[in-house]
Amino acid sequence: MPKKIDAILTQYGRKQDELIPVLQGVQKEYGYISPDSVSMISRYLRISENQIFGVSSFYAQFRFTEPGRHSIKVCLGTACHVQGGATLLDMLERGLAVECGETTPDKRFDLERVACLGCCALSPVVQMDQDIYSRMTVNKLTELLKIYE
Amino acid sequence: MTKEKKLSITIDNRTVEVRPHLTILEAARTHNIYIPSLCAMEHLPSYGACRLCVVEVDGLRGFPTSCTTPVEDGMVIRTDTGEIRTLRQEVLKLLLSEHPASCLFCTEQDECKDYQGTIRKAGVITGCRYCPNDTRCELQQVTERIGLTETSYPVYYRNFPVEKNDPFYDRDYNLCILCGRCVRVCNSVRLNGTLSFKQRGKITTVGPAFDRTHLEAGCEFCGACVTVCPTGALSTKTSKWYGKPDKEVATTCVYCPVGCTLKLQVRKSEVLDVLPDYNSALDHGFICVKGRFAVPEYVHSSFRIPVPQRITPLGYNDISWDEAIAEAAERLAGVKPDSFLMMVSPQLTNEDLFVAQQFARQIIGSDQIGSPLLYDLGADTGPFVNLVSQSSAFDVIDDAEAVLAIGFDSTYDYAPIGIGTKKAAQRGAVLVTINSCDTNLDMLSEMAFTCGTEKWSALVGLLTGASAQGAAPLFPTWKKDIAGIQGIFKKSTRKVIIAGPGLLAAPQRTEIIEKLLKVKEKGGWDIIVAHPYSNLKGMLAMGAFHGIKTGAIINENGQAEGVKGDLSKFDLTKGCTVIYAVGVSDLDSLPDCDYLIYQNALPSESQRRPDLLLPAALFTESSGTVINGEGRILPVNKAVEPYRSAKPDWWILNAIGERIKKGVMKYAQVQSVQKEIAKTIKGFPGVKKRLEFSRIDVKMKTPKGAPKMRKQGQFNYRGIPLEAVVKGMKAIEERIELISGSNRGAI
Repeated sequence: MPKKIDAILTQYGRKQDELIPVLQGVQKEYGYISPDSVSMISRYLRISENQIFGVSSFYAQFRFTEPGRHSIKVCLGTACHVQGGATLLDMLERGLAVECGETTPDKRFDLERVACLGCCALSPVVQMDQDIYSRMTVNKLTELLKIYE
Repeated sequence: MTKEKKLSITIDNRTVEVRPHLTILEAARTHNIYIPSLCAMEHLPSYGACRLCVVEVDGLRGFPTSCTTPVEDGMVIRTDTGEIRTLRQEVLKLLLSEHPASCLFCTEQDECKDYQGTIRKAGVITGCRYCPNDTRCELQQVTERIGLTETSYPVYYRNFPVEKNDPFYDRDYNLCILCGRCVRVCNSVRLNGTLSFKQRGKITTVGPAFDRTHLEAGCEFCGACVTVCPTGALSTKTSKWYGKPDKEVATTCVYCPVGCTLKLQVRKSEVLDVLPDYNSALDHGFICVKGRFAVPEYVHSSFRIPVPQRITPLGYNDISWDEAIAEAAERLAGVKPDSFLMMVSPQLTNEDLFVAQQFARQIIGSDQIGSPLLYDLGADTGPFVNLVSQSSAFDVIDDAEAVLAIGFDSTYDYAPIGIGTKKAAQRGAVLVTINSCDTNLDMLSEMAFTCGTEKWSALVGLLTGASAQGAAPLFPTWKKDIAGIQGIFKKSTRKVIIAGPGLLAAPQRTEIIEKLLKVKEKGGWDIIVAHPYSNLKGMLAMGAFHGIKTGAIINENGQAEGVKGDLSKFDLTKGCTVIYAVGVSDLDSLPDCDYLIYQNALPSESQRRPDLLLPAALFTESSGTVINGEGRILPVNKAVEPYRSAKPDWWILNAIGERIKKGVMKYAQVQSVQKEIAKTIKGFPGVKKRLEFSRIDVKMKTPKGAPKMRKQGQFNYRGIPLEAVVKGMKAIEERIELISGSNRGAI
């Protein structure tokens, strides 16, 4: 059960400089930044909701959709890209009917792209939750998705 | 204050003296040295986004941007060397790699300015309003000055959908160069915070959070972003294809009692657009949606009454002015004073109101002068006009320590007062709001009391210390908050109450007004009243009010003697022989009569039909003055000729009056009316000072038949809801309805 947002907010001062720590705190608790939490932060820090969104959308670390039960990260670093990472991402986007950065309606998966996971020798790689899967193909990926419920 | 020492700097081998605390760009501009720039702008904080203003400075490494580098004594600056020119060209090329540039390098550009041969093609290709017909595109000017004639980079078209779903202006971010002017004006000048940069890198756009529309995100539609945009990315829906205005006429907005300066953009007989005046001392250019966008569509509405018309059961007959005046005079001659009713709108100019009251009093001999105020406020009219006459100058907010805003929201009106309040809150003043719904001031407030209007009176009494009788138990959850704020208010010496239009919708409005007047009398509190009756102070000063004579209310020597009015015998239900309605459009509430004269610019939306229609000129079409909420006399200037055969209100009244009784009025022009007014109000209309108003004590019973709380559109001008003629206002009214439910709908 996530802490009430008030409890998170009161850990920080009511200064505009606290915006990023507050956003990090909220994301840590809820897993994402919802419109409701933005509205609460706005009142607390006296920054408009739009400005908060502007700041938070600049940083890759913040997300605005609820994460799924499992997160899929497709690597599109140079090596993975050359080895067909983009095809994997394309297949996932079509197969799950979501765009990059979104969560499937059944909250089973959320899909993200990353720049490099640091194992270029094994490219193309896909990360499912904490596990790295190497030398992925479309077929292997299709089988892999079935394991994660 | 000691004079600050000037600094001596050398720009392009010229040694010049400049004020300290300027940037190099500002210093160069004051000495007419051109440095190209697309992001720097007066009144906006420096940003350094476009990189076009790079210069060379001895002793500084590389090429600093002149808009972010402050001048120092003895600085040696070069603004136009070969190296800088190449650098600027390169920067501009990169900038144009994301901006459709075909129009900037078009070989037919020069001819196009004269013949506009390619103009449609350019518009279709780039979607831009400018190319090249109104020469307001700053990108175009800068490209010319920098001397770029081609670009070597491929143009990357970002393919953002053009956003057209909001009222008043369109946005095409494919044309955006991300200079950040709109973001800065929205956040630092208007203190609104609707716009911010979203995402980053090549997909950066400007806009509100979470794909919301501007309307949903709390945009005020003040149009400041459109005014500052150096490209065609932001464009006004109505005027984007109109091209260049011939002249600019400064006038005063008559939509509310603030009286902002409007710069009307005029071509021939048309007002194309309205721009704010950032140098205006009164409003600092903080005009609202009504002034910025709701003028051209209203004054050039296709529903305007073109010629005088006689209405018979058979239909409408166009008649000449001669016939119309003769007919009105014939009907009015010999009417008994107490079976005549003059209804005037508080949105007329002083001159119109003066002539109207003179018409009633001296031509007909009747003191039956009413206004829609009586229907809206009934028995509460007396206390309300008293409150208005006691209101302070708007700049009391500037050094206030505490502000209490009651029923006030400045999203779509009273913008200068709202922005002043926000500035005060940001500077550290304690802001407290009372409203029945969320307001745009809540974010910056110390405490926002959101409760039903029926509790306001008790709350106001508690907070200001006017009376705490039996009020405390009403607010069990706010016990601590109220105590805290009481403490703050007690400690502060400069305090301001802003009484917004929401106050008029509260059932115990008289009780609240009495409390406000009581605390004002005790001292420490100033009161600002934001109400929809624009020239109410002018109406009272001119005496266009039952029982108050011209000039009687002006308190010249500071003797607060007070004016006594008596409306208790004024019967608004009694049938009349003739009713003359000037700028009043709710005909259904008027009493029965044999003959109804309707003098206005637009036809009434009422069911009831008048007998004679007289077309009146609007504030863009005739000159005059108004007295704003502070008591300042402000000029209303004629910008265009009246529509078809419309005439100024004072002219029509004068013509009919002359026909009935010769020699009373004889006004040939508006100046002669002003001279007549100056006989009672000294110095009119040249008084620069605020006019001081004395206290008004109007005895009053609920005028018979006056409906207690009449539901009206939020924004009216001369009785016509703005949304009826200005397309975009509809969306705004719906938004207000959605946020406030029914609370803000009344009055």
